[in-house]
Amino acid sequence: MADPHTNHGATDHGHDYAKEADSPGGLFMVYVVVLGLALANVGLSSMGLGRYGLVVQLGIATVQAFFVSYYFMHLRQGDKIVLLTALASIFWVGILFVLFLSDYMTRHMVMGW
Amino acid sequence: MSIAVPHGGPVAAPPPPEPTPAEPNYLNHSYGIWSWLTTVDHKRIGILYLVSISVFFVVGGLAAGLVRLNLLSYNSALLTEDAYNRAFTAHGVVMLFFFLIPAVPGVLGNFFIPMMVGAKDMAFPKLNLASWYVFMAGAAFGVWAILTGGIDTGWTLYPPYSSRSSQSNVVPGVIGVFISGFSSIMTGLNIMVTVHKMRCPGMTWGRMPLFVWSLYATSLIQLLGTPVVAITVLLLGVERVAGIGIFDPSIGGDPLLFQHLFWFYSHPAVYIMILPGMGVVSEIITCFSRKNIFGYHAVAWSSMGIAVVGFLLWAHHMFVAGISFYAAMLFSFLSMLVAVPSAIKVFNWTGTLYRGSITFQAPMLFTLGFLVLFTIGGLTGLFLATLGTDIHLHDTYFVVAHFHFVMVGGMVLAYMAGIHFWWPKMTGRMYSDWWSRVAASIIIVGFFLTFIPQFIIGYHGMPRRYPNYPAEFQVYNVMSTAGASILGLGYLLPAFYLTLSLFYGKKAPANPWSATGLEWQTPSPPTVHNFDHKPVVVCGPYEYAIGVDQMGRGLPEPPGPGEAQDPASRSGPTPPPGPQQKETEVVG
Amino acid sequence: MSASHHSPVLKHHFEDLGQQHASERLGMWMFLATEILFFGGLFGAYTCYRLWYPTEFEYASSYMNVKFATINTVMLITSSLTMTLAIRSARIGDRAGLYRNLLITFALGTAFMVLKGFEYAHDFHEHILPGAASFGGQIKSNAEAQGIDTGKVRLFLCFYYIMTGIHGVHIIVGLGCILWLVQQTYANKIPPENYSTVEVVSLYWHLVDAIWLFLMPLLYLAGAGLKTGGGH
Repeated sequence: MADPHTNHGATDHGHDYAKEADSPGGLFMVYVVVLGLALANVGLSSMGLGRYGLVVQLGIATVQAFFVSYYFMHLRQGDKIVLLTALASIFWVGILFVLFLSDYMTRHMVMGW
Repeated sequence: MSIAVPHGGPVAAPPPPEPTPAEPNYLNHSYGIWSWLTTVDHKRIGILYLVSISVFFVVGGLAAGLVRLNLLSYNSALLTEDAYNRAFTAHGVVMLFFFLIPAVPGVLGNFFIPMMVGAKDMAFPKLNLASWYVFMAGAAFGVWAILTGGIDTGWTLYPPYSSRSSQSNVVPGVIGVFISGFSSIMTGLNIMVTVHKMRCPGMTWGRMPLFVWSLYATSLIQLLGTPVVAITVLLLGVERVAGIGIFDPSIGGDPLLFQHLFWFYSHPAVYIMILPGMGVVSEIITCFSRKNIFGYHAVAWSSMGIAVVGFLLWAHHMFVAGISFYAAMLFSFLSMLVAVPSAIKVFNWTGTLYRGSITFQAPMLFTLGFLVLFTIGGLTGLFLATLGTDIHLHDTYFVVAHFHFVMVGGMVLAYMAGIHFWWPKMTGRMYSDWWSRVAASIIIVGFFLTFIPQFIIGYHGMPRRYPNYPAEFQVYNVMSTAGASILGLGYLLPAFYLTLSLFYGKKAPANPWSATGLEWQTPSPPTVHNFDHKPVVVCGPYEYAIGVDQMGRGLPEPPGPGEAQDPASRSGPTPPPGPQQKETEVVG
Repeated sequence: MSASHHSPVLKHHFEDLGQQHASERLGMWMFLATEILFFGGLFGAYTCYRLWYPTEFEYASSYMNVKFATINTVMLITSSLTMTLAIRSARIGDRAGLYRNLLITFALGTAFMVLKGFEYAHDFHEHILPGAASFGGQIKSNAEAQGIDTGKVRLFLCFYYIMTGIHGVHIIVGLGCILWLVQQTYANKIPPENYSTVEVVSLYWHLVDAIWLFLMPLLYLAGAGLKTGGGH
């Protein structure tokens, strides 16, 4: 009986893989963006942003991480489960941060009544 | 039968082959210790785990024996205070990390997940073998740490005592925990990828057995939680070795940070321990009630719910440690939430039992014991989740009784149930029905006697981890130790009759319990590749009412209620024609 | 059950190469999730203390070597590019290109570790160390002069060494994996059908890079705006 799950059988042709390969130009563009952001991060920080320094730095790092994961790590290619795995891990780190901070930010607060 | 089946009989598919005596199966297809130590067959790896965790269960049990013997006397005749600390630490570390966490995922998960989803093996067979070796390496460190003097900090390893003052084998113990954590991650990863990518045709998420859902949820926790305890014990080890670290108050460090990081994993870890047991219960309760599960989607989603919500509760272990009052209130509220999916499961299991054709073989006895004991354990957890009452109950025997009810009365019983249920499939042998029922009964009675008194003394204020206590509590401690002895006897019995069954047990048919899962549609024991033809699934996993397995074929006669001998040897009236008609001759 | 002529790359428990590639990719991503949680615990701990001791942490950070860190960042990002190009080389069957890209990535990663070695040597020389006895030099004297609690400065230094150290261990493991890929290329085990072996290592490498992108500002740039302090 025909197996519905086998797509192109077990013999795959090399040129199928070449077609889906990244273009070097595209990769280089992403590289330039990420590099530029890194240098901007260093430059901006030395300008003394005060209270907003941390937010700006982490914001830039987040944008860099997005470019690396979306293009270099091929998240743009599909497979929802891979995307869900990536997002879930970030979400879980978020749980850790939020609930840790719920203690550390309120530790020195005295009870209201 | 209330369901009208429109077609004349089960969907045409080749009937499962009868096991012929000389047929090669996964056990006999290659011989020698080397073939076992280099196997990549998920079934053999499951057996490797079975043997090793059984050994660790004995080690942890002996440590428990030392603790309970010491508590017979209220002023500590048997062990010194220091030795007592090492005994209860050993009991905790071994039982949690080297028995409870790997038990069902490592043994039953490895063995049955590929079969239940209709695959030939796990997604990463070599990673699977590696996970057992990593587990053994970690356990070697841990057990070595215990046998060469022990650890005296409690399994919770709190600094600054564990990082500065403790004169015990903290570093090797911590290395053992760190290494065996990787085993946990590898197993969880393997299970998740297998479930995502290797299901056979027709096996949609909504047709997966609830055991698979539970193990998927467990694997999610293992994947996301274990790395945090890994970094935690690494930081602890660094602080102990280097003499300086991030938990050190003298440089502004916060010992509570260790507790936050530690419990971020260790609370979800208790759900790693219990969720597989809940999966086992779903499988057994349907089979031995001959009924479909009540509320499949509720049970499936509640497993996921427990996994997710379980990550939001950890600081209820720290209510009196010094966290902020506002955080304590938040965590108390969140801790109540996890009772909801757990209760949903208990209600659904009860609904499954209702109007079922219930029989009381050992797997079912263990499962019914689970239902009662887990419910009691879960309810007492609510007392501890409530901030006000926890102030009084924290670090008393009430906590000890609570977690033993859920972990032993819940998980160990579920593990025993699973072993008894799937033993014929794994080994191809039936064990003594009578002795298994006796063992289950002794374990349940022994368990009550051991741990109910602990609720009482805990409520009255006896602290945990103390070798000495006020004389008024002695009668309860003696009852508890007596119960522990009975419990020990109960655990010893399966060691005998299960081992004896390997040599003298009746050969098991393919489906002795007349269960619907794909794993029962293979010979007992299974062949190396599990299935001769790729299974195609046409219906849900518990179609007991219409008497079809997941491939749409008929089921053999279910075992009757009064079976003194194994269910395989039945001679009874011919069943009516239709979907319940036997496809295969039962060996007898 | 198996096809009469299946690819030598196909592992027997998989139905076809598509399933194999998808499984390998998902498996590595799940492992990456564990690494994210592993570092996440460290980052969470750092965040709590930075919230409590902002002045001391910014002061300590100003003594970190921003120049070295910037060069390291540039090298690591470049290595991510070459690693992704290596996947491309594998896909199109360009064996020479695969060698080249893998070896450049290896070289950049090694240079990262070498520079880190110099950085640590410099820190040791300046007594920028967390131990009670080893802490000294300018970072200590200036702190005492400004009334900054040296204990909490040392706490920052604990994080500096632990975070960069653990990150360094991950780089070294990555370098080992890249060497293995070079060996596999040499043994002709990476035809286009097996590009996913390169992809799987590349995913790990990118994560180590991404973690550095967060690590760097937290450790090196926290005090970059400070006029006082070392700030080199």
